[in-house]
Amino acid sequence: MDRKQIRSVPIRPEEITPKHIYQSRRQFLKNMGFVGMGALLASCAPGLTPPDELPTGLPTDFRTDNMNNLLTSYDAITGYCNFYEFTTDKETVDEKAQDFVTSPWSVAVTGLVENPRIFTMEEILEAYEQEERIYRMRCVEGWSMVIPWMGFPLQKLLEDVRPTSEAKFVLFESALVPGQMDNANSDLFPFPYLEGLRLDEAMHDLTILATGLYNEPLPPQNGAPIRLVVPWKYGFKSIKSIVRISLVPDQPPTLWNTIAPNEYGFYANVNPDVDHPRWSQATERRIGDAGRIPTLFMNGYAEEVMPLYEGMDLEENF
Amino acid sequence: MDNKKNRDKNWLNLIVLIGGFIPLLLLGWSALQGNLGFNPVQTVMQRTGNLGMIFLILSLSCTPINKIFKLPAVGRLRKPLGLFAALYAFLHFAAFAIWDYQLNLGLIWNEIRTKPFIIFGAIALVILLILAATSFKSLQRKMGKTWVWLHRLVYVAGVLVVVHYLLSIKGDLFNLQGDFALPIIAMVIVSLLLMVRIPAFYQFLRHWFVKE
Repeated sequence: MDRKQIRSVPIRPEEITPKHIYQSRRQFLKNMGFVGMGALLASCAPGLTPPDELPTGLPTDFRTDNMNNLLTSYDAITGYCNFYEFTTDKETVDEKAQDFVTSPWSVAVTGLVENPRIFTMEEILEAYEQEERIYRMRCVEGWSMVIPWMGFPLQKLLEDVRPTSEAKFVLFESALVPGQMDNANSDLFPFPYLEGLRLDEAMHDLTILATGLYNEPLPPQNGAPIRLVVPWKYGFKSIKSIVRISLVPDQPPTLWNTIAPNEYGFYANVNPDVDHPRWSQATERRIGDAGRIPTLFMNGYAEEVMPLYEGMDLEENF
Repeated sequence: MDNKKNRDKNWLNLIVLIGGFIPLLLLGWSALQGNLGFNPVQTVMQRTGNLGMIFLILSLSCTPINKIFKLPAVGRLRKPLGLFAALYAFLHFAAFAIWDYQLNLGLIWNEIRTKPFIIFGAIALVILLILAATSFKSLQRKMGKTWVWLHRLVYVAGVLVVVHYLLSIKGDLFNLQGDFALPIIAMVIVSLLLMVRIPAFYQFLRHWFVKE
C-alpha cells in the first residue's frame, strides 16, 4: 500500500468537503440516474429530451484512493448501506437508525488475553491516534464505494491486551438493543451479529477499527461509534457498532456464514473467480457511477494481504 | 341489459389501462426528478420486477373471480392485465441487460448461465412475451385448442416468477433465515390462485362464498 495514503496528521479545515460540494455531488448522482433511466426509457419515449441541467456536478473534491478512484459522496455512504438490525432497506436505514444511542459506549475485550479490559469510547479515542484511511468497500451484493474512514489499526488495541499463545481467532459482536432496533427480535436473522477474523488477519496493518468517515464521527447507520473495516473482504465482514471483541482458539461462528455457508465463506475475501449464486462477483457497480467495472482480486489489496494466504486454496476457502 | 354490460366492461378496461401505465409514469417521473436513490439501476430493476409480478397475480385472479362471483367483465381483464405483466417483465429485463450490463452479451450470458434465479426469471419472461405476442383475438380464433394449451403456460410463468423472487433473496430459504416476508406472501397468493383452478377446491370455495 502507498504509505502516503495513510495520514496521521489532523485534517486541515480546508480539506473537509464543504456541504455545497456534497450537494453538487448529489445532483451529479441524480443526473446519472436520469442518464441511465433515459437510456432505458428511450425506446418508450422517443421525444424525451435531456433536462436543462446536464450532469455538470462533477465532484470537486478530487481526493482518491491509492488507485485514483474518486471518493464516494458523503450522502451516498451515509444514505445507502446495510444494517439489518434496523431494517433490510438500504435507503431508509439512516432514518431507522437515527435514534440509536451510541454514548455512553464501551467495548469489552476478553477471552484468551493477558489483559482483558473494558474500554470506554473516550478511552479508545484518547489511547489510539485516529488517522484517515481511504479504502475501497466491496459489498457481496455487487456494489462498491470509496470511503475515507477515520480510525486506527486493530493491531494496536490487540497488542495492548496481549493475546495468549492459544488465541488463534478474533470474534466480534455487534450491539443488539431491542428497544432501538426494529429487527432485533426478528426470527429471520439470528442476531446478535457476529463476525470473525483469523488472528493474523486481525493484526494486519490494513485492518482498522473505524470511528469516523469524512472526518466526522460515524453516523449510527454506518456502525457508530466503532466498527471494523477489512478492505480486502466483502463488506459484511466489517461488523458495525462493536460491543465485544474476544480472542478465541477456534474459528468462530459468524452470522452470514451460519445462515448460508455455501454462499458466505468465513474468509469472504473479495474474489472475482469465486462466483455467488445471486450476484456477479466478476464485476461491480460503483455507487455514483454508471455501468459496471471489473472487481479486483482481494479488492485491489492483493499485494499487501496475499502473504496471509500462502499455500491456501482460496477457491476452497472462499 | 347489453348496454349496461358494455358500459361496465369499458369502465373496467379504462381503469386497468390507467392503473397499468401510472406506475410506469411514476417511475419515469422519479427518474426525471433524480429520485431513484443511490443505486438507481437496482431501484428500477426491483420496481419493474415487483410490478410485473403484481400484474401477473392480478391477471391470474381474473378467472377465479369470474367463476366464483359470476363476473365475466372481470374475467376478461386477464388479457390487459397479462399484457402489463409482460411489459413490466420486459422492462425489468431491459434494465438488467441494457442499463446495468450495457448490452455486454458475454457478461449477460455468464450471469444467465451461472445464476439459477436468473434462469427461472428468463424462462418466465420468454413465456410472458410469447403469450403477449399471441394474445390477439384473431390469432386466438385461428389457433383454437392450441391457443388454450399454449396460454396455460401462464401457470408455469406464475410458479417460475415466485421461484425467481424467492431465490433472489439473501439468506437461506429452507431455514427461513433472511428477508423472505414478501416473496413468501407472493408464493402463498400464487399457490392459492393455482389451487383454485383444481375443480374440487373450486367447488369448496364456491360453496362457502356464494350462498345459493
